[in-house]
Amino acid sequence: MNSTIIAQMAVSGAMMGLVYALIAYGFQLTFSTSKSINFGQGELVMLSAFFSLTLLNWGVPYWLMVPGGLLFGVVLGLAVERAGVRLALEQKSEGWILLTIIIGLLGFSAAENIWGRDDRPFPTPISSDALHFFGISITPLEISVAVGVFAVMGLIELFKRKTLLGKAFEAVSADRDAAELMGISATRTVMLSYGLSGMVAAMAGILVSPITTVGPTMASALILKAFSVAVVAGLESGFGVVIVGIFLGALESLTSFYLGSGWREAPGLILLILALAVRPNGIFGKATIRKV
Amino acid sequence: MLEIDNLTVAYGPMEAVRGISFTIKEGAIETLIGPNGAGKTTILNTISGVIPAQSGRILFNGRDITRMSAHKRVPAGVVQVPEGRQILAGMTVRENLELGGYRRPHREALRDLARMEDRFPILKERCNMLAGTLSGGEQQMLAIARGLMARPKLLLLDEPSLGLAPKMVQTVFAIIRQLHDEGLTILLVEQNAHLALAVSSHAYVVESGKIVLDGPAEVLRTDQSVINTYLGQAG
Repeated sequence: MNSTIIAQMAVSGAMMGLVYALIAYGFQLTFSTSKSINFGQGELVMLSAFFSLTLLNWGVPYWLMVPGGLLFGVVLGLAVERAGVRLALEQKSEGWILLTIIIGLLGFSAAENIWGRDDRPFPTPISSDALHFFGISITPLEISVAVGVFAVMGLIELFKRKTLLGKAFEAVSADRDAAELMGISATRTVMLSYGLSGMVAAMAGILVSPITTVGPTMASALILKAFSVAVVAGLESGFGVVIVGIFLGALESLTSFYLGSGWREAPGLILLILALAVRPNGIFGKATIRKV
Repeated sequence: MLEIDNLTVAYGPMEAVRGISFTIKEGAIETLIGPNGAGKTTILNTISGVIPAQSGRILFNGRDITRMSAHKRVPAGVVQVPEGRQILAGMTVRENLELGGYRRPHREALRDLARMEDRFPILKERCNMLAGTLSGGEQQMLAIARGLMARPKLLLLDEPSLGLAPKMVQTVFAIIRQLHDEGLTILLVEQNAHLALAVSSHAYVVESGKIVLDGPAEVLRTDQSVINTYLGQAG
């Protein structure tokens, strides 16, 4: 067994792990403002991917499809907030858990009816011809995933730190009442967080589709692992999800290589169980003082 | 300016404020004194909108704001400096001030920010430090300055002396007196009845969610029951 193969598996896995990290980051966005998450987030990934594919089929050029797909994600995120989250939060109930699951199921049925059950290829202008670095091959498509993930997360973090609206977002996350006393609407900030979270889901869909193909069930495995990453890293961990995502992706890829692809899903689930048992606040969770 | 009419506030089945009425005139500085848990902070939180009123009315400049959400009362002119200061510890001093002026036009807010840093030189000195690293007194000044950034018409101050060193308490109260001299209407909640009565024109004694006594501050200062209960120990 030589080390190049191990490195190769780890790198390819890590690229996939970045997609988990991106979706987990979407969970964090809404959790920070409202202590709620969208359990139908996987359907947002899938629906946005289908919508983006449809745009391509209509002849929209790839680079125009991207903002279109992201915008669709924002709209879906806002719809989830309005239909599934806002009323529950106003009544201080946990109803959003069930409601977001139900909205996800609706989205799933809608996708099956509109686009059918088959998996479809997602065309991309980015090449899949392997490049070689130090004996490890990596495709421009994989690189584009990493670039896309970091671009979206970086832009959102920049927005949160450098703009007044972004700082208001952080203020609501830190102390909802104090923010209201400064004239910041907590409700609108929660809306904003769901919009951003939807956009992040759409980005994940656009990035991953050329690799996994597009189908109604494309996100079911993804979302489980994104959830593992979010819980293991901690729902308030910021960039902790990137580290855990890369780690999980690499671990999965090595597991399936050594134990067979049937074991591929095991590391994510084992990590999730361990995390919930040992550190429910996550490795990077709020045990220490976090300065934003 | 502010009219509270038969206000009741409840946490679940427990009534924290039971049918309180009072009014505050423009330019006045008035204070609520009373023991811990009497409902003073609840009254302030209901005026600022953080806690919903169960019944009764809150009129601000003749406008019914009883059901208005907290963030809308800020641009209307009702601004609270909360107890325990609630500054944003993970943000810089300047960011805290910026957010204080969140609802104001950007240029105006920037001008006021400069004015606020002139008024509180320590905040200018510490402008890029995280607010959580400030001392208690500095945090209280930041909290007041942040409240002023919203250009309040009515300033609600909740326990501004809480946890501060005696010297700092004097400084903070000097600021409060100055704000009053500039014409700002202030409603103060204070444990330190001595100081509160010294700066205020009118005071209300709150016990178990009710106003049990009220009158001009100098009269309450000589009232035997107030002396016994609230001024006694400190002489």
